[in-house]
Amino acid sequence: MNRKATLTALTALAAGLVTLTTACSSSNGFSSGNSATPASTAKASKTQLTLMFGSSGTAETNAVEAAAKAFTKQSGIPVQVIPASNLTQQVAQGFAGGQPPDVFYLDPLTFQNYAKDGVLDPYPPNLPSANGFSPALQQAFTYKSTFTCDPKDASTLALYVNTADWTQAGLGAPPATWSQLQADAKKLTTGGRVGLVIDQTHSGMDEFFYQNGGTVTNAAGTQVQIDSPQNVRALTFLKSMLTQGAMKLPSQLNAGFSGQAFGENKAAMDIIGNWENGEIQSDYPNIKFKVYPLPAGPSGTHATLSFTNCWGVPKQSRNLAGAIEFVKFLTTPQQEMTFAKAFGVIPSLQSAQQQYVQAFPQYSTFVQELPYAHPDIAIAGATQALSAFDSALAQLPSANPATILKTAQQNLQAVVDQNK
Amino acid sequence: MPGLTSEERQRRARREGIASKAPRPRANKIALYAVLVVFAVIYIYPFLLDVGTAFKTDADATAHPLSPVPTHWVLHAFSELGQQDFARWLTNSVIVVVFVTGGRVLFDSMAGYALARLRFRGRGAVFSAIIAVMAVPGVVLLIPTFLILKQLNIYNTYPGMILPLLTDAAGVFIMRQFFLSVHPSIEEAARIDGAGIFRTYWSVVLPMARPALITLMILSFQGSWNNFSMILVAHQSPSLDTLTTGVGRLVSGQLGAGTQYPLQLAAAMAMTVPVAIVFFVFQKYILRTGEGAIKE
Amino acid sequence: MNLILSQRRRETAAGWLMSAPVIVLLAVFLVAPILMAAWVSVSDWTGIGSPFASGVHSTGPANYRALLSTPGLPQQQLGESLRNNVYYVLLVVPVQTALALGLALVVSRRRLAGRGFFRTAYYFPSITSSVAVSILFLYVFGSTGVVNAVLGDLGLHGPNWFNDPNGVIHLVLSGLGVGHAPGALANHGFLGLSWWEWLAGPSVAMIAIMTLAVWTTSGTFMLIFLPAIYAIPADLDEAATMDGANSWQRFRSVTLPLLRPALFLVLTLGLISTWQVFDQIYLMSQGNPAGTTLTPAYLSYLTSFGNQQWGQGAAIAFILFAIIVVLTIAQRLVVSDRRGAQ
Repeated sequence: MNRKATLTALTALAAGLVTLTTACSSSNGFSSGNSATPASTAKASKTQLTLMFGSSGTAETNAVEAAAKAFTKQSGIPVQVIPASNLTQQVAQGFAGGQPPDVFYLDPLTFQNYAKDGVLDPYPPNLPSANGFSPALQQAFTYKSTFTCDPKDASTLALYVNTADWTQAGLGAPPATWSQLQADAKKLTTGGRVGLVIDQTHSGMDEFFYQNGGTVTNAAGTQVQIDSPQNVRALTFLKSMLTQGAMKLPSQLNAGFSGQAFGENKAAMDIIGNWENGEIQSDYPNIKFKVYPLPAGPSGTHATLSFTNCWGVPKQSRNLAGAIEFVKFLTTPQQEMTFAKAFGVIPSLQSAQQQYVQAFPQYSTFVQELPYAHPDIAIAGATQALSAFDSALAQLPSANPATILKTAQQNLQAVVDQNK
Repeated sequence: MPGLTSEERQRRARREGIASKAPRPRANKIALYAVLVVFAVIYIYPFLLDVGTAFKTDADATAHPLSPVPTHWVLHAFSELGQQDFARWLTNSVIVVVFVTGGRVLFDSMAGYALARLRFRGRGAVFSAIIAVMAVPGVVLLIPTFLILKQLNIYNTYPGMILPLLTDAAGVFIMRQFFLSVHPSIEEAARIDGAGIFRTYWSVVLPMARPALITLMILSFQGSWNNFSMILVAHQSPSLDTLTTGVGRLVSGQLGAGTQYPLQLAAAMAMTVPVAIVFFVFQKYILRTGEGAIKE
Repeated sequence: MNLILSQRRRETAAGWLMSAPVIVLLAVFLVAPILMAAWVSVSDWTGIGSPFASGVHSTGPANYRALLSTPGLPQQQLGESLRNNVYYVLLVVPVQTALALGLALVVSRRRLAGRGFFRTAYYFPSITSSVAVSILFLYVFGSTGVVNAVLGDLGLHGPNWFNDPNGVIHLVLSGLGVGHAPGALANHGFLGLSWWEWLAGPSVAMIAIMTLAVWTTSGTFMLIFLPAIYAIPADLDEAATMDGANSWQRFRSVTLPLLRPALFLVLTLGLISTWQVFDQIYLMSQGNPAGTTLTPAYLSYLTSFGNQQWGQGAAIAFILFAIIVVLTIAQRLVVSDRRGAQ
């Protein structure tokens, strides 16, 4: 009788846990590892899709959710939209846990890692949009000559200027050179506001390298060349603006990123990409601004950085056909233009890009800059080295530019060597 | 007699059999209470600020960090919090806490009793193993736990969040300590009355263990309600987020906006209230310090 | 005789049955995971699929070598995390122990008004979650936060706490005129950091996190000291007073020796927990600024979950495990030596 009591208690608890497991498994249940549908030719089921993305702000989140809802209405496949607080980490955890999101934003750097591991489904050639993308964007997502992921949009860095502050300071034409940038930033710096803010990462500063005739790697990507006199000069220039107080980094302004500082008018100018448009529209509607091309370097070189993401679809998606259907929906000119209108990114489809220029003449700057835009660093396996680089750049106000670049050179070259 | 130091005076007073305690100068007492109060402020003030700032606007929070009283009382932070998945986080926290606390109390007391009172070969080995296990730092288990959850196919499920937290060597230790202190005569009496082992445990000894069980319950509650890292590695789906991981995401990473202090502090406040309530209700068990004769 | 045997058999069965859940849980969620992680730390598992799948190969000590002996980013980050954690331990453990003891002594005085209130106040932070406290301290130590406001009222200019990577020792040294690394210290190093960098001390950002740690845990340790203090017989104290000992002498010769077991417990617990700092780093700083708040626990997580270098991440976890075990044993030896010598 006593043993029965024990057994009963234990069985009850065990039963409880089992019930809980089955009851709560729904879409978060057991890992489906091996049960992925074999090929993209399988019929799309009604299994819920998860879309994970890194949002630039409220505007983007709303736009993505709206697109998901529209797709669900059209196809009957439910979509769960998940804005990630740390996209790369969460997607990685998803892969490791055997349940990656069915569709997710994938940047060129992480793309290299996943493509190498062979976990992405190479759906692009099978979609109607196959040959409609900008060649440069398609190139960023081609691994060993397989076009593996549809680019979703493009952005370039440009100079955002707060027109109210600009007129108040009595300034005329936008800065066209580094020295003009420095002078204007100084003039715009007042008591409660700094002249210029830029992001304290390599994605916010590398354009100055290119503008000064430097580079990050050689054309073949086998040699890292980030430690060069031109780049040191570029960082030194940035540092001088910091020391003068004409420029500040977001952490110095209590902001999470430069767009926030600009939106809160803690800075009169900001070098940031066109995703900022949507951010300002939704979160900082009172800011009146204009967008100008970035100033040229001392030798007259124009350069900026281009950013893009693609729609990653994992081979092991539980509804692979459904996920591809979703991407097909998302890569139509209409949908790309909807995104463009909502948060300002440039469409990745060339046909849509033309519509963009017509619809937003005031943002023609971004498209204008595309010819001299350099892609952001994307070396397979370089995540840790790049975050160490960013950590170091965040200390630029007090650090030695030469040391920062020397360390970055060593770390990145080690990664490149490992990839050979 | 003038000219004596206070020490000499004390010695003389003692020799003459007068009360041994020298009169304490009032200054000492004031200093003592001053120290107590200053530290109390340091320990409590952040919580006052938390409550107050939760009702401030973002700008007010940045402009007046020292004041726990908002310039204008607003519910902005709470409505924003409501837009987050707060209700879901709360539900998940409750689920985890109930099962972990229930499981720990049940399993730890059974094992503690077995190790304290039942003689069986291998008992020593089991106990040594449990002690050894207590030595494993929790943080080392983050990756391993993730691996086993994946292997067992319970990653990203409720059991996956609950079962790892059920492993609690310290609780077994506490219960064993308690059962060792129970006088064997009680069990002998029950045995003589014909009760079997489990019956003796369940109906006779366990009820006596109320204080220890309550302590265990409170520790389990606290440990599972407040747990962050284990829950973090056990799931990835936002629908499984507990209060800790859900709010944690508000703070770190991309969604942790620069200066949305009132929102974050409102979340912190909401997380702390249940634990505070449990604490105040069960205070005497937690703060049981064996003062004995010393009156409050 | 038969009765005794059957009683014994029943006890054995009941004993095993009743301990079974705990044993199973420990085996499944403690022993097995550690063995799995040990395998992963010597393998090339990329995080996809099972670590026991056929495509996963053993790489021997490659991961450990990359972390400990090969110069490069992994070694440097391990070095940084160890350095940061060493300073963390060196400062937090003594401060929280002393503070806990001090508070306990004060709170345990006879005839103290509001004893219950004070005790509750000092213990309250310990019951809250690391998430809530991290949020609080992000606010308190924010660049426009409480601490800087107070410093401002005192006429000082507080640093931008969480963005200031300057090591405290470096700051003091530069205040004394030693602004740059002396040659010997700069050119030689250990684990990817020069000796000068090892000497940096905790960064300003780390100080904020250390303050949080002391604030949160001193209450728990105060509770451990209290029963020990109450257990000190009052007559011993009086006897010492009669012999003319003043407060400090009484403390040193009577109170402290009798508190030794409690002190030992608090130091051990403190040592073990300070080497495991994770939550606060994840929530507040993510290792920034400039890697000065990296800790081995967080680095292990970041390497595995963040950068998908599972082998390396697991290896870091085991290195940390080894450190904690060694230190705990060492501490035990040191304390029992002292006890023996007494």
